[in-house]
Amino acid sequence: MSTSAPEAVAGARTNLAGLLVVPATFFVAVMLIGPLAILFRYSLNKFVPGQFMVDAFVIENYVKFFTDAYYLNVLARTVRVAVICTVVCLILGFPLAYVLARTQSRFKNLLVIAVVLPLFVGNAVRAAGWMTAFGSRGALNASLTGLGLIDQPLEIMYTEVAVLIGIIAVNLPFMVLSLQSVIEGIPRNVEEAAFSLGANPAAMFRRVLWPLALPGILAGTILTFILAMNAYATPVLLGGPKFQMMGPLVYGQFAQQNNWPFGGAISFILMTATILLTVAAHLIVQRRYR
Amino acid sequence: MARLSISHLKKIYGDFIAVDDVDISVAEGEFLVLLGPSGCGKTTTLRMIAGFIPPTAGSITIGEQDVTNLPPWKRHCGLVFQSYALFPHMTVAQNVAFGLEMHKVPQAERGPRVAEALRLVRLNGFDERYPRQLSGGQQQRVALARALAMEPKVLLLDEPLSNLDAKLRLEVRVEIRELQRKLGLTTIMVTHDQEEALTMADRLVVMEKGQVRQIGTQRELYERPADRFVAGFIGRSAFLDGEVTAPGLFRTAGGLDIACAAASVPGPATLALRPERIAVGAEVEGLPNRFTARVEHASYLGALLDIQVSLDEHDRMLLQIPNRAGLIEPKPGESISIGWAEDAGLVYPRGA
Repeated sequence: MSTSAPEAVAGARTNLAGLLVVPATFFVAVMLIGPLAILFRYSLNKFVPGQFMVDAFVIENYVKFFTDAYYLNVLARTVRVAVICTVVCLILGFPLAYVLARTQSRFKNLLVIAVVLPLFVGNAVRAAGWMTAFGSRGALNASLTGLGLIDQPLEIMYTEVAVLIGIIAVNLPFMVLSLQSVIEGIPRNVEEAAFSLGANPAAMFRRVLWPLALPGILAGTILTFILAMNAYATPVLLGGPKFQMMGPLVYGQFAQQNNWPFGGAISFILMTATILLTVAAHLIVQRRYR
Repeated sequence: MARLSISHLKKIYGDFIAVDDVDISVAEGEFLVLLGPSGCGKTTTLRMIAGFIPPTAGSITIGEQDVTNLPPWKRHCGLVFQSYALFPHMTVAQNVAFGLEMHKVPQAERGPRVAEALRLVRLNGFDERYPRQLSGGQQQRVALARALAMEPKVLLLDEPLSNLDAKLRLEVRVEIRELQRKLGLTTIMVTHDQEEALTMADRLVVMEKGQVRQIGTQRELYERPADRFVAGFIGRSAFLDGEVTAPGLFRTAGGLDIACAAASVPGPATLALRPERIAVGAEVEGLPNRFTARVEHASYLGALLDIQVSLDEHDRMLLQIPNRAGLIEPKPGESISIGWAEDAGLVYPRGA
């Protein structure tokens, strides 16, 4: 048949495309799913002090987490910090992303780079910078005391506020970039059409801009939420030893307590909580606006 | 519907004058077209009327109300964009209802008014479709229905047909015009398409470099263009540079003397001739101005032949010959006789 020849070529192309996908798939399988599977298996083992890890098939590590108020508090605090960070990033990021998306300035690329600039600095380095700024003898307190605005130095370091500020600063660029790319795809004319039809800016935002920017809002909130839930360096350096979040807790169990089963269980609880909350938020938003 | 007037409207960006002292008034139910080359300020003028650009000076009045400082959402201008600008996340019915909702029209009234607006643009039954499920022409009709549903004081059309293909453009052109007449809509349309402007307008405003060059009906613009720009922009003209040497006499740069009734004030000037007023071949008998011209270039345009001729080394002009039966097509290098009457040309002073 004469028609079989092109099909063979198309078939060969499909095979080639298939081949190209293999390395990435293999990498993900080996480097992510493999360790996760092992970790999950570990989380079902027993931890016996002195004996390290004992093979078993029990859920006592999970029970331990959910029956101890201390750990539940850590989880609640982590979720609270992540939610606050995400909401603040959205509120601060939207106007910034809008201006970036709509500007006609020749310096637009520079502005975008300025937004991304914080990411050029590693988490630990930035947190160290915050420490010098927020410390009781840091730049902020020194200035305020010098100006005679306060008598006692403000307690910012090792508080939730310090951690919030630190995480928001890291996550804001992700939110802004996610929103900016989507807002750029919304024609300015559509906003003008809404105005000409009698919508004031608030109504235009609520009925036109927000629903059309929704894909970017979802992408940005998911990204910042996941990053905040799993934050490590910022809570350790700015929150101090008493301010526990899930990320440092996992590390502590593995590296300091040598309790791999419990560390594995906490890892899975953190991952599951992140996924569940993300999916729930996604569904609520979609139902509300479609 | 209301009348609209613009007086001394001006928009300056830095040292660029986009719109310079524009005065326009549109009667109730009139269809006015702003026409001009790109960058002439027509779109800026329309956007100032809609309220998207604050004027540097001047005022805009809709009906009895001075709207110069009102935001767009308080102007009741129905606006139709070149790119349709429909809300992609809303159905056709939701798009059309948007203006009613924003103007707090009671829910019970909205349904019938949406249906009526969609019926006007012949899109009844498309209520539940999304814009992406419609063709370009249908989308533009939804945009029109959306603007009409809120019963605007004036309808503003910003190059509404430019994104449509040629055949559809002719259809929608007629539809918009009929609808505008039937509803008695005060309408301002912006276009760079001369034919579109001529077929749709009651009156036209020709703009160039931010200024109004002429306001008038099609006939006024074609037969009595106010200046050389309008003579070249509306329809086609053959131009001969030279000077008026005495009343009734025009001498070209090449030294040809032309009897011309429009020549009055002596001085440098340009003579503009409409191609259809220039006779060719045997028809030149008895005309006061007769010349032998050399054909330089001829293009076949179907109904017409475009012929570039030179009278001498300085004077070149454009002719259009109707493609009648038995026409012998002039070839480059051939000589033909051309001529025109004393009252055929218009004279514009040069360097003014």
